[in-house]
Amino acid sequence: MNKKIPNFIFTNQFGLLCLVLIFIVIFSTVTDGFTSRFNIFALSRVIAIDIMIGLAMMVVILTGGLNLALGAIGVCAAMFGGWCMEVLEIPIIPSILLMLGMGSFLGWINGFITVKTGVHSFIVTLATMSIYFGFMTMLTEAEAFRRLPELFTDFGSAKLFNKYISPLLLVSVATCFVLFYVFRFTDIGRKLIAAGANPEAAELSGISVNRMFIYCHVLSGFLGALAAILLTTRIGAAIPSMAGQLGMDWLLPAFLAPVIGGTLLSGGKLSVFGTMLGAVLVTLLTNGLYLLDVGEFWIRFFLGIILLMAVLLDRTREYFTLRKVIVS
Amino acid sequence: MNEFCLEIRSANKSFPGVKALDQASFRLRKGSIHALLGENGAGKSTLIKIITGVHKQDSGKLFINGKEETLNNPNDATKFGISVVHQERNLIRRFSVGENLMLNNLPKTPLGLIDYDEITIKSKKWLEMMDLDIDPKTVVSELTVAKMQLCEIAKALSLKAKILLLDEPTSSLSPQESENLFTLLKKIVRDEGVSIVFVSHKLEEVFNICDDVTVLRDGENACTSEDIKNLDRQKLVRLMIGRDEQIVKSARKIKNAKDTILALRNVKTELGHRNIDLELNRSEIIGLYGLVGAGRTELMKCLIGQDKITDGDVIVNGKKVTINSPKTALEKFKIGYISEDRKKEGLILIHNVLDNTSITVWSQIRKAFGFVSDGMIANKVDSYIRQLEVKTPSNYQLISNLSGGNQQKISVAKWLAAGTDILIIDEPTVGIDIKTKAYLHELIIKLADNGTSIILISSDMPEMISLADKILVMKDFQMSGIVENDHDYDAVSSKIMEFIHT
Ligand SMILES: Nc1ncnc2c1ncn2[C@@H]1O[C@H](COP(=O)(O)OP(=O)(O)OP(=O)(O)O)[C@@H](O)[C@H]1O
Ligand SMILES: [Mg+2]
Repeated sequence: MNKKIPNFIFTNQFGLLCLVLIFIVIFSTVTDGFTSRFNIFALSRVIAIDIMIGLAMMVVILTGGLNLALGAIGVCAAMFGGWCMEVLEIPIIPSILLMLGMGSFLGWINGFITVKTGVHSFIVTLATMSIYFGFMTMLTEAEAFRRLPELFTDFGSAKLFNKYISPLLLVSVATCFVLFYVFRFTDIGRKLIAAGANPEAAELSGISVNRMFIYCHVLSGFLGALAAILLTTRIGAAIPSMAGQLGMDWLLPAFLAPVIGGTLLSGGKLSVFGTMLGAVLVTLLTNGLYLLDVGEFWIRFFLGIILLMAVLLDRTREYFTLRKVIVS
Repeated sequence: MNEFCLEIRSANKSFPGVKALDQASFRLRKGSIHALLGENGAGKSTLIKIITGVHKQDSGKLFINGKEETLNNPNDATKFGISVVHQERNLIRRFSVGENLMLNNLPKTPLGLIDYDEITIKSKKWLEMMDLDIDPKTVVSELTVAKMQLCEIAKALSLKAKILLLDEPTSSLSPQESENLFTLLKKIVRDEGVSIVFVSHKLEEVFNICDDVTVLRDGENACTSEDIKNLDRQKLVRLMIGRDEQIVKSARKIKNAKDTILALRNVKTELGHRNIDLELNRSEIIGLYGLVGAGRTELMKCLIGQDKITDGDVIVNGKKVTINSPKTALEKFKIGYISEDRKKEGLILIHNVLDNTSITVWSQIRKAFGFVSDGMIANKVDSYIRQLEVKTPSNYQLISNLSGGNQQKISVAKWLAAGTDILIIDEPTVGIDIKTKAYLHELIIKLADNGTSIILISSDMPEMISLADKILVMKDFQMSGIVENDHDYDAVSSKIMEFIHT
């Protein structure tokens, strides 16, 4: 009766870990400079942000939904923080808290509308993406904030562990551990997962599903803001175009990491460390291909292909989980 | 010509950690009704799934009309004229009843578009044949489990198969509906030479309609294609569970002291209930009986706040209250509801046994910062999983991999673990074998003796009469009468039927 969860060897995470190692070996043999101190440091900064973006999307995918406004939320939080620090001269820590608050609030709006209207979050966040981004552009007049406190931007360029690793990565990994703890070892985390897996059954089991869904969106906004904070310290400024038009540059990594990592698109199953490994894999791949000089277009092409494959994998995963029940 | 239209020889099938079939064999005589029996998890559904090409046997042979055949997918089986009603519902919930019924041969207009009028006409014919009063345009998700079950049987019949496999077709039906079904089955066997495999945990039904019996125990044959005339109930039970049947007779004394814990006064609901009065005392088991569609499940859903009560009073522990969600019902008033639809409302199929059984207790057992570990959960729920003898290789098995009856046990266990004051139990023993059913009945009685008040909804009349202290009969979303239950089956059941038919 008390046998433990299947061996680690058979899990999705193990497969991912192998893939990551294989790519590391390949890229460090075929490219120059993949293992250089400079490249590893640069990688660690990018990975840190991609992990955070992936986690932010993961917690909404958990509900069977999406958050297309993720990038827009991130940029709004960043610009809001830039304004706080540069114009209002609010100290760093309170500013950071305000940014996180802004992200959570925008996430809450997404969740609230989704739950109250019953419209799929795809549509809701498609709309709020434009609204948030539009508002932000209007209020900032598309001007960047470039005179941020030095202490703040120093964090993004600091180097640890013999100058190989950015502290940003530590923030992301720590976030992974916290989220893992929440989903695995707290009642609220378990309720979030249950609500995502079968809302009707969860509701009748005494879980307030609407509230759980709103929590997921708030958490998504919070993590989006956290990603934006990391990005702002990295580039040393808050720029309206930091995540591309409407913040859409974030969407590809946001989907890739969790879906590759084993989070079920229909909701109810997630893997925090899978998402982390997924982000690592994607960033490694992009970086390696850059070093191979294959050109921006091909890199996007490959990432697109990988997303498609990951989605196929998701379908088969779901098929195999449920095949025994849904026959014919 | 071969007398047997279907034969399985020494089939083996293993799943990770489970040997579902172990050298299982059986033969289906042409034009007979063949019972396939066994405890929960004995391998009945697995055998059916092999015959219909859903699963592939690891070894063993399959003969259809005397010829050895290999089935690679469900379509292959259809080609051989095999049609099936699986244990789990397989209708497309967002489609209408008519669309579902005609799915395999949708009528087309001359332009190649789907002919919806024709769908309605054709499906209506089959629904009427089943005595089913449903508009073919109704969306399936609005049907009760019993009606879905009847629709699925209608769908299988409409395919005009030569071999019909019915995996627990009567599990959610009331005796009247089952009786109609049997008349129909006997007719198609007699008139059209159809052969039927029939799985059920209700032995009366087996003796009523079956000619031959095959019993499985832990995947092995306890008897193979035996003529039913050579068996009686006792022998059959011994073959199934290896010992004699225990019959639970409620010897409860109805307490005279009135200690009303829940009362409904003149309640109206948004679903159409009117003038509902109900009184539940502490330690009492009241039964709600009625035909499919009487509004029993719906009333209970309004009570726990899933749907709205629009008028009248709900009184819990002497206080007038409003219950606006199942969460409030559970946490504030300690009222729990065990759903009849385990797949949709009871269980999370993609989660494991432990998570499913403990979903109702997370809030109770959490420590500081909401800490809940698997160990704490197992501590709390393991005893219930074991008491109900859930057959699973581990607590980490996915629910979707359990047999139907074992899934049902989990959906009951999670509410036993919750330790509520008032427990609403909707069709608790659907698909549960006779051994566990007796346990469960004992457990319900013990629960009531220890102070839990129970509202029992069941279409199983013997179950109702052996458990309930008094029985409320419902009809068309209204109460039509109360029967004090003295456990005298004939007298009580005829009183109940009177209320139903007036
Ligand atoms: N897809 C699966 N994966 C793993 N184990 C399975 C799977 N399907 C069935 N089993 C196991 O095989 C055994 C036989 O299951 P089966 O569904 O055939 O039982 P059954 O006789 O139909 O029981 P019930 O009366 O509860 O419906 C059970 O122990 C079940 O847990
Ligand atoms: Mg079965």
